Amino acid sequence: MKDALTVLFVILALFLGLAPDLTAEEGITDTEIHIGQWGPQTGPAAAWGAVARGTGDYFKWINENGGIHGRKIVYHMFDDGYNPAKTKAGVKELQEGTGIFAWVAGVGTSTGLAVKDYLMEKKVPWIGPSAGSMHWVSPPEKYLFAIYPLYFYEAKILVKYAVETLGKKKIAIAYLNDEYGKNGLEGMIEELKSHGLEPVAQVPVEAKDEDLKPHVMELKKSEADTVLLWTTVGHSVRIVGTAKAMGFAPQFMGSSTTSDFVFMNYISKGLWENVICSTFGPVTTSDHPLIVKFKAEIFDKYAPKEERYGQFYTAGITYAEPLIEGLKRTGRDLTREKFVAQMEGLKGFQSLGPEINFKPYDKNDIYCRQGTNTSFLIQALPNGETKILTDWIKME
Amino acid sequence: MLDFIQMVVSGIAVGSTYALMGLAMVIIYKTSEVPNFAQGEMALASSFLAMMLLTTLKMSVVPAFCLAMGFAVLLGCFLEFAILRRAKEPNILGMIVITIGIEMMILGIVSWKFGAEQKTMPFPIGPYDSFMIRDIFLGQLEALILVSALVLMTVLFLFFRFSKLGLAMKATQQNGIAARIVGIRTNRILMMTWGISSAVGAVAGLLISPVMMHPYMMWDPMLKGFAAAVMGGMTSLPGAVFAAYLLGIIENLFGGYISIEFKSVVAFVIIVMILCFKPSGLFSKHYVKKV
Repeated sequence: MKDALTVLFVILALFLGLAPDLTAEEGITDTEIHIGQWGPQTGPAAAWGAVARGTGDYFKWINENGGIHGRKIVYHMFDDGYNPAKTKAGVKELQEGTGIFAWVAGVGTSTGLAVKDYLMEKKVPWIGPSAGSMHWVSPPEKYLFAIYPLYFYEAKILVKYAVETLGKKKIAIAYLNDEYGKNGLEGMIEELKSHGLEPVAQVPVEAKDEDLKPHVMELKKSEADTVLLWTTVGHSVRIVGTAKAMGFAPQFMGSSTTSDFVFMNYISKGLWENVICSTFGPVTTSDHPLIVKFKAEIFDKYAPKEERYGQFYTAGITYAEPLIEGLKRTGRDLTREKFVAQMEGLKGFQSLGPEINFKPYDKNDIYCRQGTNTSFLIQALPNGETKILTDWIKME
Repeated sequence: MLDFIQMVVSGIAVGSTYALMGLAMVIIYKTSEVPNFAQGEMALASSFLAMMLLTTLKMSVVPAFCLAMGFAVLLGCFLEFAILRRAKEPNILGMIVITIGIEMMILGIVSWKFGAEQKTMPFPIGPYDSFMIRDIFLGQLEALILVSALVLMTVLFLFFRFSKLGLAMKATQQNGIAARIVGIRTNRILMMTWGISSAVGAVAGLLISPVMMHPYMMWDPMLKGFAAAVMGGMTSLPGAVFAAYLLGIIENLFGGYISIEFKSVVAFVIIVMILCFKPSGLFSKHYVKKV
């Protein structure tokens, strides 16, 4: 009897002492908050890999400045190579292995779509996907807060500017044959329709295409006076370059994904000049106070020597700022439900990016989870310099 | 008609890069019967070395390219000597897996050392400078690749046909034991083959680097070059080059007239068709068993 009691006591002690606290929120300890992100550090979209690195350096800065209510951010970033299968495997591994409280950013529409349902089913918050896809908010999801202006609206803003301000009538598009490209295509078609126009050419580009001469020939045949580029950085440069080689010189316009003019000027060897892009953050070569501050306090201090202070790097900070604000507002007693409630209360929040507004969850209102629908337009000048063409433009 | 001519010209232009990679693959296959899947990454390493010499050491193009070519030869020889030769009881499948392993290794080293962000190599000819003849255009850089491919094909063809070393390489491939009996040092021949092949691949890598550089830049040329080599019969140098141009033209015509979305998969459809209906390739007369 005595032995049996001893064994029972040992089992009870082990259970109470060693078993995990089943009431604790996943990804939270007394001293840590685990945040995850995927990002292409290799592969065709590696140029956008700076997003995840920018977020990482921002979290280091947050930790060094006291963390969040006594907790430090533990950042888990992995390279998915812009491959949805890798994204899914990596997210599941971290979520079920390490336990992640919330995910932030994550470059790519297809990659994000690969894990969206999984994260939403598990009620894991995901803040600021690094893509302007309509899929994040149509229909809205309780745990998904989008910050990136929708590609659909970016395309509308660019077409509106081309038609109304530049007086263009023959508009064509080269789009990546995935969700990102198709969102841009749909926005373009809708905006053209409102002006009684139709696209003069719609040219799909496959992610693995390297030789884009047939694509540019089709654009040239359409005699387009404006060409929207809803492709990757590499494809966009090849299209502009091949067009130049063919003696075809329309007004090129690109989404925010190609708005890092210093980089675009470098890899296009100066051919990016005059291209108009939409964007939603201050130019990194400007004297915007936050750009200067973050460069001195984050980039100069934490970024490795080979890193560049470009738009994609600061975008990584832009997506993470509302997350940090939400965590701060939630306080020490941090749970996912309380955090989501605080995120819903973000009104008029603006730091590096556009003004962010969320609302309580309403499955019929995309703006309860789409934090912004504003962008502005910039034009590339020689040597990667930037001319700001418009103020913030809001699309409904 | 103008469109058709432009598509053919564009096809020939893009086919030149495939031709160089196809040539490089055929050289190794001719002597060892191993399709070298590390071919692209071997060229990648030389290209990034040239980039480093040009940007970090501020060397001019000619010496940087010469050093990169020298490095390519050494790299090829080293890989054969240090890795492939060490394979115990080597068979074709095992050797193929080893080349895939080498490919992943070089890719990892280049990504780690140089980063994955796109770059562009300084070069006297702009990547999009072109000759215009009426309304037909041809990129100047592509013209240079075209000339390089044709010159290299001719030189290699003559080398294999008439030089002692070339004949020794042929003998090594056809019957290694007999070659050794007549005094050919087959190991050394194999090592030289890898060196020469690596240098030919490096020409392709160096000449496409002024357009855009990133660790995956050689995948497409390598796969298309392999498709061309298969089409050409894997052992025929002129066959690989001719097939590469044919492939470039078919891709462009397919993209222009049938479907731009499926343009990039044409090469692989061709590989499957060739392997199904004419496994010896379009230009190979012998060695049906090998392909």
